[in-house]
Amino acid sequence: MSSEPRHLHPAAMLIDAIRIVRRSLSAFVIPGVVFLASRGFDVQTIVLVLFGALVVAVFAAFWGFLSWRATTYEVAGGVFRLRWGVVQKNERTIPLDHVQSVDTVQGIIQRLFGVVEVRIETAGGGASEPDASLAALDRADAEALRREIESSRREPVETEDDAGPTILRRLGTRDLLLAGATSGQIGVALSLIAVASQLFDDVLSESLAQRLLETFAPRSVTAALLYVLILGLFAWLLAIGGTVLAYAGFTLSRDGDFLYIRRGLLERREATIPLARIQAVRIVEGLLRQPFGLSSLRVESAGYGEDAGVSTTLFPLLPRKEVHTLLLDAAPEFAVAPPLNALPRRALRRYVFRSTVPFLFLISAATLFSYLVFDLAAWVFAALLLLLPAALYGRLRYRDAGWALEEDRLVVRSRLLGRTTAIAPRRRLQSRATVRSPLQRRVRLATFQARVASGGGGAELRVTDLGSDTADGLIENLGPRA
Amino acid sequence: MKTEPAKRLDSRAKTLWRITGALGALPLVAGGAFASWILMSVADLPLLFGILPLLAALALFVALASVVPDLRWRRWRYEIRDEEVDLQRGILWIRRTLVPLARIQHVDTQSGPLQRRFNLATVVFYTAAGANQIPELSARAAAEARDRISELTREQDEL
Repeated sequence: MSSEPRHLHPAAMLIDAIRIVRRSLSAFVIPGVVFLASRGFDVQTIVLVLFGALVVAVFAAFWGFLSWRATTYEVAGGVFRLRWGVVQKNERTIPLDHVQSVDTVQGIIQRLFGVVEVRIETAGGGASEPDASLAALDRADAEALRREIESSRREPVETEDDAGPTILRRLGTRDLLLAGATSGQIGVALSLIAVASQLFDDVLSESLAQRLLETFAPRSVTAALLYVLILGLFAWLLAIGGTVLAYAGFTLSRDGDFLYIRRGLLERREATIPLARIQAVRIVEGLLRQPFGLSSLRVESAGYGEDAGVSTTLFPLLPRKEVHTLLLDAAPEFAVAPPLNALPRRALRRYVFRSTVPFLFLISAATLFSYLVFDLAAWVFAALLLLLPAALYGRLRYRDAGWALEEDRLVVRSRLLGRTTAIAPRRRLQSRATVRSPLQRRVRLATFQARVASGGGGAELRVTDLGSDTADGLIENLGPRA
Repeated sequence: MKTEPAKRLDSRAKTLWRITGALGALPLVAGGAFASWILMSVADLPLLFGILPLLAALALFVALASVVPDLRWRRWRYEIRDEEVDLQRGILWIRRTLVPLARIQHVDTQSGPLQRRFNLATVVFYTAAGANQIPELSARAAAEARDRISELTREQDEL
């Protein structure tokens, strides 16, 4: 397939111009402010500043035009070729075989013009070789480019049905809101609020802060509780908002050996996941979601060669019962739901010990301290009260832990806060290990770990406190033989 | 798992680890001495209490420079089998790792200045999910291990 060099959509001029303005802004803001401050706000100064801004804008627009004129792309002779640069002429060719994915992103400016940014992720070169990015293409051109690149990359056998991607599942509005409400990102939102209020404190003058404090300061326990409640509610709404921004219109579709994800409210994102790159699937039942039988799906996907892979959301919220059906359609290699093997009875004591040991330590330290220096009886009492929930938490983790091996696929389940079931085929395991602590050795237990490729040096599948022989059998049986 | 991996590291590793252990613990001893000095001169604690941080640091120093390298060396074993690399290490937490040769992307040998004095080298092999290493082999054994791994890896790729 070959074609003439093509230009980007004219909106690219504006996008480039805005980028220039944004970049020069940081250079101009401080001198500008100093200038304003030293001269005061008389008419002459303001006119001068506006004139300066105009000069920058005109220059940026002109440069944007030149840059648009200089930028062309084409797909010809098995390579993607990008030319750009006003003063210095650049040309980059990417062999189509090395293209890992063609993703489209739609920022706010792109949405205004109804265009998309196309990002071509190269593979094999690692981080040293940057990807190609086309700032603005209209949808038809972007789709054509994607098809051109992918059709040459795909095996000819697989192009038998060219019906286009079939939609597997779409996230409805109700589910979107539910996903936000149960996302458990309240903590993140809370810390954001804390940072914001810190900034607020720094900016406010002291007398003003004093007055605000006097007006709004809680005068009773009830008022303080109310404040906490309102803050929590606010954080919750923030978390919902964040989820809505990221996951609105989440659509998972599949076309042959590729999965496509579209999502995002203001910024529309599209991502491609080649099925062959998926290393492991995780079913996460969050703390707030498990009671409602809900879960989210993640995939660990490898890069190419030394290129780092990613861990990404395959679907943000769906009933746990429907996961298997979706996996059958989306990634059949990972659609297994065997009954899990439980851990040996003797592991229960280890789990309970592990979750209570911080409190035991706290109790003994506080007791010793009370004895030596001054009374901390209240602390000892509080730690004692926490001992029972901690032990129950340990027991919960023990009961949720499990593993299974079904037709060359490893399934492990564990709980930290939420309960996570991870599925990985044997051929994807990069290494297996057993670890035995001195305490585990005494009761013939071992921790099993397997690693798969993913972003940031891989991801781990782990079962803590398997029977020693079981763990040995697992790392042996998951070998390349057999 | 049936048996331990067959091969041990080079015995000069113990000497090297004693040196690096001692060098690594020196700042600790200095820190301990400083803490003791603070406790006795500034906080006016009796010698019995004040000397404790220094003693602790010294004990750690002695352990790192004598017992720990021996224990570590005795535990460390490796074996390059036809299909996998088998590693065992760890003094308290014993870790056994199996890495299929088919998953190994490339192999390096590395040797720092101190290692070169002892004619030792480390073999590092990379998979898509991180690196593993066999430290302190004699330079010749390391080169052999590296070549053997890369050879077997190639064979596995051809399958």
